[in-house]
Amino acid sequence: MFLTAWTWFVSNIFTKPAWFLGLMVFIGCLLIKKPLHEAFASFVKALVGYMIFNVASGGMVTTFRPILFALNGRFNLQAAVIDPYFGAAPLQKSITEVAGRTMSIATMAMIIGFAINILLVYFKKQTKVRSLMVGGHVMNLMSWGVIAYLVLMIPSISDLGAIIAGGILCGLLWGVFSNLTVEPTQELTDGANICVGHAQMTGIYIFDKLATWIGNQDKKKGKEIRKIGEMKLPGFLQIMNDTTVAASIVMLLFFGGMMLIIGKEYMLTVDESLATQVWGFYLIEKCLTFVVYLNIIILGIKMFVGELSEAFSGISQKMLRGAIPAVDIAATFGFTEGSVVTFGFLFGALGSLIAILLSVLLKSPILAIVGFIPMFFDNGGIAVFANHKGGLKAVIISTLIVGMVHVFGGGLYAYFYGFSNYGGAAANFDMAVWHTLLGVIMKSLGYVGIGVICLVLILIPQLQYLKNKDTYFMVVDNYEKYKEVMAKKAEK
Amino acid sequence: MTLKVLTACGQGLGSCQIISMRLNAVFKRLGIDAKVTSSNVSMAKSTATSYDVLFCGQTLVPNFKTAESKGVVVIGLKNLVSEKEMEEKIKEAIAEGKIKPN
Repeated sequence: MFLTAWTWFVSNIFTKPAWFLGLMVFIGCLLIKKPLHEAFASFVKALVGYMIFNVASGGMVTTFRPILFALNGRFNLQAAVIDPYFGAAPLQKSITEVAGRTMSIATMAMIIGFAINILLVYFKKQTKVRSLMVGGHVMNLMSWGVIAYLVLMIPSISDLGAIIAGGILCGLLWGVFSNLTVEPTQELTDGANICVGHAQMTGIYIFDKLATWIGNQDKKKGKEIRKIGEMKLPGFLQIMNDTTVAASIVMLLFFGGMMLIIGKEYMLTVDESLATQVWGFYLIEKCLTFVVYLNIIILGIKMFVGELSEAFSGISQKMLRGAIPAVDIAATFGFTEGSVVTFGFLFGALGSLIAILLSVLLKSPILAIVGFIPMFFDNGGIAVFANHKGGLKAVIISTLIVGMVHVFGGGLYAYFYGFSNYGGAAANFDMAVWHTLLGVIMKSLGYVGIGVICLVLILIPQLQYLKNKDTYFMVVDNYEKYKEVMAKKAEK
Repeated sequence: MTLKVLTACGQGLGSCQIISMRLNAVFKRLGIDAKVTSSNVSMAKSTATSYDVLFCGQTLVPNFKTAESKGVVVIGLKNLVSEKEMEEKIKEAIAEGKIKPN
């Protein structure tokens, strides 16, 4: 009896991610004591949201196919768009079509991951983890990523195995890496008691250190650190705040350029519909179609993640107990002068452009095109941290590097996991810089590899603690005192 | 009358939802009946005029000049998770007569 019920559940709910997600949202709403009718509304929204995502995900891949074929046939080249929402479609296709699994295992892994992050924070005296993820949109995509790594690299892993391993990995990745951003974010915000839990956490840690070094070099030479102030940027840059416009411009530049190089003649051989159309309009419409699907994907994700976030956030507020919430990178943008983010974005874009040209010259088998989201939020966010410690010079150096890492690292990431077969990879700086390594370890060491990764992750906050025992917890418990101690240290 | 509140951020996914959740708590504490909706900048630009108040990160404030000139109260936040800052700014707007508590 129990078994039939379970089989029914698995074949009708668990293998249908939209329903499973809806169910989880419904339970989450009840947990934070929402009235029944609101929980029902959230259930419906999550269900519809996932179905919307499904439509767009399919459309995105279909639109991309001809261009992918053309590139492959003409130049023996694979292209991949490096963008978290664009890449959501390839992630989903990799898990369901390549590995033949249901997306529900990722949803389960996300919930377990969140629980593990709570445990890590609860036992922070032992684990040294001081931060808890709250952004549902980040957790959702990252759990898809981690599950994709597992089922692609270790095909023999069972669904249950993937859920457990994926959950543990997610929880550790979130807790440990957001914890790395605690000091930089506290220092940037002058003790706002937040840190960053997103997809460029490694970048914040590295470039905060680099910028501090650059700043100190300047100080040693007796120079003032030149920071980006309220510089007046040309008014037209304001339109970049509108993500639809900005994404369209980025796509037109990079994708349009690529299709021009492929040429009309070759495109005709892969897409017959072009025969009756004007080439210029065809090209622009193709580029904008991506933005259309990107918007639909974001709409869908927003609908199911919004409900999820609320449940997560409600639970986490009760669970924080002296730990700090790890929030979206955009939350740091308010703690800087107006033009820093735009500056970072422009130099990051320049870095990406240089890297793309280099990939073409060096005949790289994969060409990564950086989408608007990582280009703006990674570069902009890292620029905020770099400017705070090292000024203009640090911003330029850091974002040029970030832009190049997006192309080279992101390309490698998309190619290694095979996401590029579906046209893109859900990558930001963190994925581009080292998530390929996760797959290499899993592929070569199998289950042992998962253990090795977990062990290394557990050790990271311990090492951080050993380095700064006296101020490690002070920075979140009593920031004013932390400032005094750090000022004294700097005097010595 | 329920106060109609809109929150906005770049993608309409992350930060604005955090602002919305914290705002709900603040309005409840202040005893103000408010309905909070979140959105991205693109959408918010065209829909802002049908709301009474708009909250966003302070760097995004210049996007909403048109809405402001049409009488929408635009409030820029420095710390997107600080209920204290939100409460202060709401009280300030009430004192200036921009927001009428119901």
